[in-house]
This record gives sequence, C-alpha cells and structure tokens, in this order.
Amino acid sequence: MTDSNELYQAILTGNAKKAHATTQAAIEAGVAPMDLITASMVPAMDQVGRLFEEEEYFVPELLLAGRAMKSAMELLRPLMVASGQKMSARVVIGTVKGDLHDIGKNIVASMLEGSGFEVIDLGADVSPEAFVAAVEQRQPQFVCMSALLTVTMPAMKTTIDALMTAGLRNRVKVLIGGAPVTTEYAREIGADGYSENASTAVGLVRSLLAEA
Amino acid sequence: MTGRERILAVLAGQGADHLPCMPITMTFASDILGAKYLQYVRDHRVMVDAQIKTAELFGFDYVSTISDPTREAADLGANIHWYEDRPPAINEELALLADKSVLSRLQASGPITGRRMEDRIRGIERLRELCGSELLVEGWVEGPCAEAADLRGINRLMMDFSDDPSFVHELFDFTLATAIDFAAAQINAGADLIGVGDAAASLVGPRIYNEFVWPWEKKLVDSIHANGGRVRLHICGNTRRILDGMGTLGCDLVDIDYPVPMDQARAQTGPQQTLAGNLDPVRDVRNGSPETIGQSLAEVLRQAGSRWIVAAGCEIVRDTPHENVRAMTSFAQSHAAHGMIQ
Ligand code: B12
Repeated sequence: MTDSNELYQAILTGNAKKAHATTQAAIEAGVAPMDLITASMVPAMDQVGRLFEEEEYFVPELLLAGRAMKSAMELLRPLMVASGQKMSARVVIGTVKGDLHDIGKNIVASMLEGSGFEVIDLGADVSPEAFVAAVEQRQPQFVCMSALLTVTMPAMKTTIDALMTAGLRNRVKVLIGGAPVTTEYAREIGADGYSENASTAVGLVRSLLAEA
Repeated sequence: MTGRERILAVLAGQGADHLPCMPITMTFASDILGAKYLQYVRDHRVMVDAQIKTAELFGFDYVSTISDPTREAADLGANIHWYEDRPPAINEELALLADKSVLSRLQASGPITGRRMEDRIRGIERLRELCGSELLVEGWVEGPCAEAADLRGINRLMMDFSDDPSFVHELFDFTLATAIDFAAAQINAGADLIGVGDAAASLVGPRIYNEFVWPWEKKLVDSIHANGGRVRLHICGNTRRILDGMGTLGCDLVDIDYPVPMDQARAQTGPQQTLAGNLDPVRDVRNGSPETIGQSLAEVLRQAGSRWIVAAGCEIVRDTPHENVRAMTSFAQSHAAHGMIQ
C-alpha cells in the first residue's frame, strides 16, 4: 500500500508536514486509523530506534521523527476515540523530581506513542505526588520514570514508595531508565523493569504486556 | 615540579616527574568546604576556597572555575531556576529564544557587568593570586553549541538544525562572540587554560557536527590561542562519531568521557593530542574501590599512552568516597609522564 509506505518514509525522514498530509489523504481514502498505525507508524518508529542503536541516527533525527509521528497521531487520535477503539495500553511517563533532563524521556514517549500506546507525558521535575495523582486519575497500566542525575535517582524509589502508600503499586508496572540507571538499581528499588534505550523500552513494555 | 608546570609540560608533549591529575569537581568541592552550592555559584570567594581546599586535600594539579552552564545565559537575561544546594538550571520552557525572532533584538552582554560572568573572572583573579604558580588555574566558557542550547532550549535547537539552518548559523555567531569575549577576559584575569564545555554537541552525528558545530568551535579555539590562552575541550557523552573532528580543532587538551574507549580516542585524535579521562564517574569512581580504580587507570594509561592526564570522563559526583578520589591522585603520582619521542 503506497499510502502507508509514504507515511513510513515521512516519519523516518522526520518530515512532519508530509506525515500530516499523507495521513489526511489516507483517512479520506478510507484507510482505518489502526491500519495506519500498525502498517506504517510502528514499523517506522522501530526502524528509527534501530538506526539510533546503530549510530546512524542521533538525537536530532529522533526528535524530528517523533514530531512527524505526532503530527500524524493528532489526526488519528480523535477518530479512534470516536470509534471507541482502544490503544494497546496506557503509559504515564515523566522525569523525576529535581531532574530537568527530558530529551531521553521525550524520545521514549514518542517511541511508545508511535508503537501504538497511549502516552500521558507529565513533563520533567515531576513529584511523587504528581505521579500518584496521574495513576489515580488516568488508570494507566505502566508508569515510566526517567532520571539522568545520580542525585535524582533516589526520587524513583520515593515515587515507588508513594505508589505503595497510596495502594496503587499493584495496579501498574513501573519501568525506569536514564543513563545512570541500571538493571540492578531497578531490582534494588522494586521497579518492574529497566531498559537502556528507547527501542528496547518499547520491547520491554510489549513483553510485560504479553505476560500480564 | 609544581602542578602547573606538570600540566603545562604534558600539554606541550614534554615529560614530567609524574602524570598530572585533573578531575573536574563542582558540587563535590562545595561539599568539601561545607558550603551550600548556591553560595558556591553566587560568590567566587566560596568557589575559590572550595577549589583550593579540594586541590590540597587530594593533591590535584589544578583549580577550576567551572560551576554550572548558566553564567552566560543569566547575564543575557535568561530565566534561571535557583536551588539551595544544587546547580542552577535554565528554564527551557521559558527559554530566552523560545521565539526565534528575539535573536535579532538580543543585546550582547560583555563579561564585566557585575553579574555572573564577572563573578567567575573575579574567581580567576583570586585563584591566580592565592595559587601563584603552584597550581594551574582553569577558566570556563560554554561552547557555541551548548550556549545556543541554553538560550534556545536544547529540544528546539536539535530540530532547528534541519528546520532553519540559517537561524542556527546566526545563533552560533552570537554565542561564539559571547564565548570569545568571556574567554579573553578570563585569560586577562590569569587563567592558564580555558575549558570549553560543549556537551550538547555529543547529541548530534557527524553531519551536523561538521556543518554546524566544528566551524564555530574552531573559531573559538583559534581566538583563545590568539589571546595567549590554552584550550581544554569538554564534550561529555558518546562522541565516538565526532571524534575525528574534535581531534582537528587544535585543542591543547581533549576530555574523553567513558562511553568512548580510550584506544579509539587515541587512534582517532592521533599521537600528538593530549587527552584526559575517561573513568566512568559513577560506575568506576563513585561505586568502585581504590583497587579497582587503580586497575582501571592502568588500563586507560595503556590505551592512551603517556600524553595523557588522569581524570574521570566528567565531574566527580558529590557522594564519591574520598579514598576513591585519592586513588586517582596516587595513581598519577606513581607514574612518570614520558615525553613524546621527538
Ligand atoms: C543535555 C544535558 C543537559 C541539559 C538538559 C536539557 C534537557 N531539556 O534535557 C541541561 C543543560 C539543562 C543540563 C543540566 C544539568 N546537567 Co546535564 N547533561 C546533558 C547531556 C549533555 C545530555 C543528556 C541527554 O539528553 N542525552 C541524550 C538522551 C537521548 O539520552 P538519555 O537521556 O540517556 O535517554 C536514553 C536512555 O537513557 C533511555 N531512557 C531515558 N529515560 C528513560 C526512561 C525509561 C522508563 C526507559 C525504559 C528508558 C529511558 O532512552 C533514551 C533514548 O535512547 C549529558 C551528558 C552527555 N553528553 O550525555 C549531561 C548530564 C546528564 N548532566 C549532568 C549534570 C551533572 C547536569 C547538571 C547538574 C550540570 C551542572 N553542574 O549544572 C545540570 C542539572 C539540571 C537538573 N536539575 O536537571 C551529568 C550527570 C552526572 C550524573 N550521573 O549525575 C551528565 C551525565 C554530564 C556529566 N557527564 O557530568 N544537562
């Protein structure tokens, strides 16, 4: 299908205008939103992640692809809501309290979104209380936390503890990431998973979802 | 040899009685003095006392005025978040150039206006006065790419490279001019070496680095040299794909962070380049032990050869055990620096 290939190319090359226009044309031609997501968006974001791992793509290319993906998503989301279609899972994501590094978090958020998940991005410097409130109100299946500073890593534990205190810990899977974070640290603070980069993060969410 | 002589000798490719040791310390140094980091970044006298105390306690060969990325941006009018005991940060949401059209109206700021840039200059004067020729005194400027990220917001800048290349060129001209003046004033104040922090450049690939970043970094390096200074380039993060360019800037010292294997850095920058690094500040230095640190440094020395200065890939994090930092100096002090075979 040429439509989906064009959208795939537009996302891969970070062309937001073209992604928007092709999506609009595909919708008008009667292509189902979910088909666009599975046939073009997910493979495009997978490929973007792969190119990043291979050091062919860098942060600028990732952010551009993310923006192109979002411009297509903007058109699809209302249609999916109207037709009562569900995304595969809902994810709340944020950079933890005291930490303003949000580039990695933004990339993980757009990779998840481009892979068909509903993403609620709380931004950076997010307090444990704000994570708890988001879990209460939005009922996600996943909470993703990012930290880039050794001094803010403990805020991940504080947030997990706050979810525990609020009686919400068992309702969500908690995933953590960011350059200084490790698998051992995830285990130590009682998170459900850690992953090193955005494309493996998508794989992790998918595999935890399959287990559930 | 004094610490200053030792570093200058190794930068010049000559031998020294032992390897120099130049780990970057900021919050770590502030903690050593028992100051709050807000005082450290706001009052050069606190920074000076902390740097001297730390250098003496651990036997470092230098003192530095690196503190946070916001000195230039603050003087230019950016919106800064202040914290009691953490480095200040720029509010990216409200970045000075969130709206690109502001650039054409943005007033340049000279370094001497009684604000944050001048505070660093006063710090350099005081360090020079107190350290004489014992320790090397390092100044610091944000590189053209890092400062552009500070002013524009890094998430925006990363997309500007493809959305609006001519805006990026204009922006880099502006940040370059700021850096050139700030560096010149620091050299005048007595800095031996100017650190150029351009970490935002580690996020781009070779295409963008060569087109947008390298030419401006080169002009800065040349200007510092023309003003009688020396240059330490600090681009932390994974720079494997831009190392070739970093090696041809003509910097006196290039810092290598832990994601880059030291042998690769040596191969890509050539035998004449003095390198510093590259222990992982968290995994090797904070979480390691004096024994593992000694072993890791021996391996780095093997890969780097002796035109090399002992350091971690980036700053020593604040809760690092003191004996681990001491292990870095002990290693340096027990290994002679052999000159280049001419
Ligand atoms: C850009 C940057 C900044 C910018 C941030 C702007 C922004 N909007 O994000 C600014 C200038 C504001 C900044 C400030 C500071 N920074 Co800074 N910064 C960096 C830098 C250069 C790049 C970080 C980055 O974006 N990497 C790229 C992204 C894509 O990688 P990533 O975040 O790791 O994300 C990937 C994975 O980790 C993973 N991932 C990320 N999150 C998640 C979450 C989940 C759930 C999962 C599964 C995966 C995952 O997927 C991502 C994509 O693959 C690094 C050094 C470097 N070159 O790496 C330092 C660095 C992170 N900063 C550092 C420091 C110390 C600071 C300051 C304290 C500096 C100072 N002294 O003033 C301040 C602190 C401000 C604050 N309160 O947060 C240190 C941290 C040291 C440490 N370990 O504690 C670093 C490592 C530099 C260094 N070597 O010292 N910084």
